[in-house]
Amino acid sequence: MMSASKASRLGEEIWKTRIDKVNSELVVLTYGTIVAQLCKDFDSDYVEVNKQLDKMGYNIGLRLIEDYLAKSNTMRRCANFRETAEMIAKVGFKIFLNITPTITNWTSDSKQFSLVFDENPLADFVELPDDGRAQDELWFSNILCGVLRGALEMVQMQVEAHFISDVLRGNDTTEMRISLIRYIDDELPPEDD
Amino acid sequence: MSHVPTGKPTGKEPAGLRYPTNGKTIYHRPLNRSKTAELSQSSFAYLFSEMVTYAQRRVTGIQELEKRLNNQGHPIGLKLLDLLLIREPARSQTRPLNIISLLQFIKMSLWQHLFGRQADRLEKSSNPDTPDEYMIIDNEPLVNAYISVPREMSQLNCAAYVAGIVEGVCDGAAFPARVTAHSVGGNEDGEMWPGKTVFLLKFQPEVLEREALIASKV
Amino acid sequence: MSYYFAIIGTQDNPLFEYEFGTSKQGGDGQAHFNDQARHLNQFVLHSSLDIVEEVQWTNGQSYLKAIDKFFNNYISCFITGSNVKLLLLHQPPSSPGGGASGLGAAASTRSSTSIAANPTSPQTEEAVKNFFTEAYENYVKATMSPFYRANMEIRNPVFRARVVAAGRKYL
Repeated sequence: MMSASKASRLGEEIWKTRIDKVNSELVVLTYGTIVAQLCKDFDSDYVEVNKQLDKMGYNIGLRLIEDYLAKSNTMRRCANFRETAEMIAKVGFKIFLNITPTITNWTSDSKQFSLVFDENPLADFVELPDDGRAQDELWFSNILCGVLRGALEMVQMQVEAHFISDVLRGNDTTEMRISLIRYIDDELPPEDD
Repeated sequence: MSHVPTGKPTGKEPAGLRYPTNGKTIYHRPLNRSKTAELSQSSFAYLFSEMVTYAQRRVTGIQELEKRLNNQGHPIGLKLLDLLLIREPARSQTRPLNIISLLQFIKMSLWQHLFGRQADRLEKSSNPDTPDEYMIIDNEPLVNAYISVPREMSQLNCAAYVAGIVEGVCDGAAFPARVTAHSVGGNEDGEMWPGKTVFLLKFQPEVLEREALIASKV
Repeated sequence: MSYYFAIIGTQDNPLFEYEFGTSKQGGDGQAHFNDQARHLNQFVLHSSLDIVEEVQWTNGQSYLKAIDKFFNNYISCFITGSNVKLLLLHQPPSSPGGGASGLGAAASTRSSTSIAANPTSPQTEEAVKNFFTEAYENYVKATMSPFYRANMEIRNPVFRARVVAAGRKYL
């Protein structure tokens, strides 16, 4: 099994040597305009916006996993869900968003954990609309939940991911909860979403 | 002149946002913090292609799609105009006063910031009938490099998004213009720049009138 | 000195307004406009927009300094990249419309260089510039949010507090 520190070194190494980079503000402003457009298209129905973001993320996840596997050179399956968590936080997030969220709050059965984001480039410059609803309903970075769901599905893990707090909502942390539903048997095709 | 409300509360006060207990808001974050920060190019490519795919479902043709991408870029141009100006050292913090200095700002500052290099060329229309047209040429736009356009959409130029950003800069700087992106690379083998794109800026008549007026006063 | 500060959008629409008074030289930070002056302030400020539109094309600086004077009111202007105007009306305490009581001894002659008394001294020019620069920085932060659309009013209390603080710090 890959240790936490080894995963961390791997993530750093890939980020430094194998990743083509762009100015972060190009990415951040593009994400911002996507979310703002969704809010407009769905007339500030934030619950629907969350769904749309999750869906976009899922589509991204399905494609991103290949990129991730190629870059990280880890053809071997993770030994268990705890190792998966390490790889997501220290390699996955590192090489795509140059951040390393903290893994915490494991359940005793090792099937659920949290990612706590001390930094979240997607939320740079962002303040939610002051309409009395957005801070209760919109999960601005919800695309990330979809990305994890899509990517893990491609490596035979069905997970559920959602945010439970966000500094943009006035919470003290930004925390995503990830639960393993089941390992998908190889012979069964992945469920259509 | 529009109606100016009095300085007193208008009765439609904001509901008020909640903030974390550390009190951090967007106003506490230095504007330069992410000036040189980097993210992976593929993150941009994934987001951008989702944006295009999503937009595609809500339009009926390529023109409408390009218009939509343009609309999504426009507010970014407005924001970047101020952001890039405020980041200049006080001495060189000057607003563009004529078309040429505006185009230089776009070719150099805007391109450098967004794409890590300047645009390749600026040109003025040589057609005497269209003195209001200028061109910014990018041999290899980043947005096209990472997006594989489906065959049925082969006329689509994703640089319409960048055109929207440019249009936002022009409108913001009070040089209202219509900006469109055009592929000129051609498909022949051996073509050096197959993704080559011309951003065509067509300024509104008042821009040229003002320019002539200012020139006559100097 | 009494001040009336406004941010004016590209449709000549007000995005933000705030009136205050001198904090320097023992000032209490309160504006001392009477009701009539207060009513006039907005009119005076808007009347100066025509002058801004002339000056802005001959001077590429953001800080255009004092651009207009209406009786005892002086208007300073700072114009942003995206053509939003930050305007400051300053009215010295000796103004008949202003009421000088709050400033006490600081209400001196025009020859004074004090920021509190002389709207055209180089010290004042510099102080106003610093005030504008800080307000502009916060304005850019407000407008960078993807939910901010051009010409939206800025109603955020944190933004207001920052402008208030800049006023206290420099003026």
